[in-house]
Amino acid sequence: MPDTILVTVEQREGKLNRVSWETLTAGQALAAETGWTLEAAVVGSGVANFANEVAAKKVSKVYAVESPKLEPYTPDAFSAALKQFIESKQPKLVLLPHTYQVRDFVPKLATAMGRTAITDCIGYKKEGGKLLFTRQMFQGKLAADVSFTCDAPWFVTFQNGAFRGDKAEAGASAAPVETVNVQIADGVIRNKPQEVFKEAKQAVDLTQAEIIVSVGRGIKEQKNIELAKQLAEALGGELAASRPICDSGWLPMDRQIGSSGQTVAPKLYLALGISGAIQHIVGMKGSRTIIAINKDSEAPIFEIADYAVVGNLFDIVPPLIEEVKKAKAGS
Amino acid sequence: MLVFRKPLENIERPQMPADVVIVGGGPAGMACALRLSQLIDEHNSKNRDSRLSKENIYVLEKSREVGQHCLSGALLDPRSMRELLPGFEKEAPLDAEVNKEAVYFLTEKGKFKFPITPPPLRDHGNYVISLNRFVKWLGSKVEETGITIFTGFAGSELLFDGARVIGVRTDDKGVDKQNQPKSNFEPGYDLHAKVVILAEGTRGSLTKQLIAKFDLAKDSNPQTYGQGIKELWEVPSGRVAPGEVIYTMGWPLTTKEYGGAWIYGGNDNIVSLGFVTGLDYPDPRLDPQRVLQDFKQHPFVASLLEGGKMIRYGAKSLPYGGWWAIPPVAGDGWMILGDSAGFLNSQRLKGIHLAIKSGMLAAETAFEALKKHDFSAATLSGFQKKVESSWIKDELWKVRNFHQGFEHGFFAGLFHAGIQQFTGGRGLRNRYAGTAGHQHMKKLAELPADGGNEAHLLGPAKGDGKLTFDKLTDLYHSGTKHEEDQPAHLVIHDTNICNTRCVKEFGSPCQNFCPANVYEMVDDAEQPNGKRISLNPSNCVHCKTCDIADPYQIITWVPPEGGGGPNYDGM
Repeated sequence: MPDTILVTVEQREGKLNRVSWETLTAGQALAAETGWTLEAAVVGSGVANFANEVAAKKVSKVYAVESPKLEPYTPDAFSAALKQFIESKQPKLVLLPHTYQVRDFVPKLATAMGRTAITDCIGYKKEGGKLLFTRQMFQGKLAADVSFTCDAPWFVTFQNGAFRGDKAEAGASAAPVETVNVQIADGVIRNKPQEVFKEAKQAVDLTQAEIIVSVGRGIKEQKNIELAKQLAEALGGELAASRPICDSGWLPMDRQIGSSGQTVAPKLYLALGISGAIQHIVGMKGSRTIIAINKDSEAPIFEIADYAVVGNLFDIVPPLIEEVKKAKAGS
Repeated sequence: MLVFRKPLENIERPQMPADVVIVGGGPAGMACALRLSQLIDEHNSKNRDSRLSKENIYVLEKSREVGQHCLSGALLDPRSMRELLPGFEKEAPLDAEVNKEAVYFLTEKGKFKFPITPPPLRDHGNYVISLNRFVKWLGSKVEETGITIFTGFAGSELLFDGARVIGVRTDDKGVDKQNQPKSNFEPGYDLHAKVVILAEGTRGSLTKQLIAKFDLAKDSNPQTYGQGIKELWEVPSGRVAPGEVIYTMGWPLTTKEYGGAWIYGGNDNIVSLGFVTGLDYPDPRLDPQRVLQDFKQHPFVASLLEGGKMIRYGAKSLPYGGWWAIPPVAGDGWMILGDSAGFLNSQRLKGIHLAIKSGMLAAETAFEALKKHDFSAATLSGFQKKVESSWIKDELWKVRNFHQGFEHGFFAGLFHAGIQQFTGGRGLRNRYAGTAGHQHMKKLAELPADGGNEAHLLGPAKGDGKLTFDKLTDLYHSGTKHEEDQPAHLVIHDTNICNTRCVKEFGSPCQNFCPANVYEMVDDAEQPNGKRISLNPSNCVHCKTCDIADPYQIITWVPPEGGGGPNYDGM
């Protein structure tokens, strides 16, 4: 019986991850080069339809590796399921897309089987009967060809974009699909999945704000940030800060204005206790109207301010909030 | 709470074998790589059966692009370049050949021109260059030969096997402020090298590690340093001609500080000017960036700059100690080049040509080692011998006591320099002892509260925004940039000393000698003196002054995440 290449495709939230097609392309190319048989597997609960989708491609066979315990995804369940399945089928080579999910469970799976994984590959070579997998080093400056010295099965993951998913060949006829039910014993799954969340890229988009109230060192203490926040709320604007404030952790980094933060150009920029170092100015000088409050009349912020208020912000801001509220109530 | 950068422990790191790893892609490192490549090419053309490979020769450079951390005046003495690449003048980026020179002694408002230019400061035949552009060009030559330069990778520590250096660990990438891996974490590589060549520039961090581990400096004078603050100006035409060189001594320094200024005319009305202040001044309140601002206000200098525009700023430390302060430069698996070793002629204020020459000699030794497959101290000490029989030693031997003569002030210095001039560099004895610069710093209690004669030098510069600049404004023009979310790379071994002792005894001089506002004493009612050290590491311009000048010697500069740092375009 010839050796087998097993491509494990990824499904998530009712969709095949498109990177899976790339891995399938890689599998087809490797199968052509080695003469090995190409098979594919989909892991999950109720994944027969995905298996059928994959079966339309040029593969010998597709397995739906099933267990109700595979939904929702946990690294414990996935590695247990695949370990069982791989041990029974004994493929030579297991190919997976280098996705977050795969990164999560493959090290565990390979270790559980006493094997190594070559991850995040961008290609492969066959040299003297030996398969070499290419990985990038030094941020892409060098490429290293890595081979397995351990026994099969060999685990390889391919980087997103390494192969073309649209080049995955369709089969002459649909490949047979076999459902394999795996048993996952009680107590195997120790992970408790929480709700999936996406880290917001930018929790707040200051570049879209029309009014920004920005605080600098003159705010003195973390608790005084509240004062600026009240003013921002009264004006219906966003709160921002100069670097020292964010560096001290008083406000999150995504609210930092300046050369190492965001560049903004709101209609109104209210600078509270900001001296106006050039590093800050470059991030806000395009603002239509700049009002600066600072007790140091020499502060460079006044050079670009349209309205300069020399005074203690703690004397000025509280009545200002009241006036803004009054004016808004009146309008 | 400050958390300091340290290679992560108990993690698996990618391992990579190498023949030669050169740490630092400045003039010394690039010259070394280029010379090594030439020697290998020559060998391979004659010995087709025993060819040597260049594939495993690597240059690590912490800046994002080659040359971005290179700063100097700069005047290039072409001697070593003519040996490395005969006819290099035809293709290298040179601004102008020096055609006019003058030396002045400045008083507060006046100036005295030296009737003749002292021989060491005669620069006819040298070239005004931008070291940044020059190194970019040299780096392109290196890459053309097939040697790989890893830009954006810093050497974070040396790897040892007993008394042998066996490689370099590169910087961990994607580590947050708490020294924890982030989602984009990439561990540093362990490059296992047959020979590691340290060309990190002044006060190299791996060089420091090596010197400390093997106590290499035990027979040398302590290295002494200066800090050069540079501004690049674009001025109205006709002020300083291309190839014109001006040196000044005196104002704003007093006789207690060592230092002086340069003004070089480049092409397109670009003027390089800067001030080097010896990092062995007595008053902790002195601020070298302020010194440059005061210098520019001198009527003579102001008249050259008036109506012009400052376009770039930068700072660099340089080793002044001379021949007696150079540690052994080769051992088991390692060699040290350029400013890292201290190959700089402080009398001529020139080191680039020596850095290049030291790189070439190290390349010859590395080449012999590659041929013999022997990288032991016995073979690599060939570099030491080559240095001692080369013109590097001839040149440095003549000025071996120069800087030490100035340790007790300007007039004593002139006296010693005079005698040394007539005794082949000997002076009153063959070897003048030296003192580490930080030991000259006095406590506030020993100094006049108002600053006395130094009063005009002390405290931060205010800046008028046209001729003079406060430090943050100057700093902006260094273009420095770092990943903000990373641990502090200014490793303070005991912050209690900052908060309890230094603030009282010396008044926290880190705030003054740092040219980049990295160090800051912030209000903190919980501290006994009401102040606490705080760091702004992303301001750093990699000059290493803090590592050198801190009076308690508790700061170690280590490279931040590779790719961060100043942008010295045209500097």
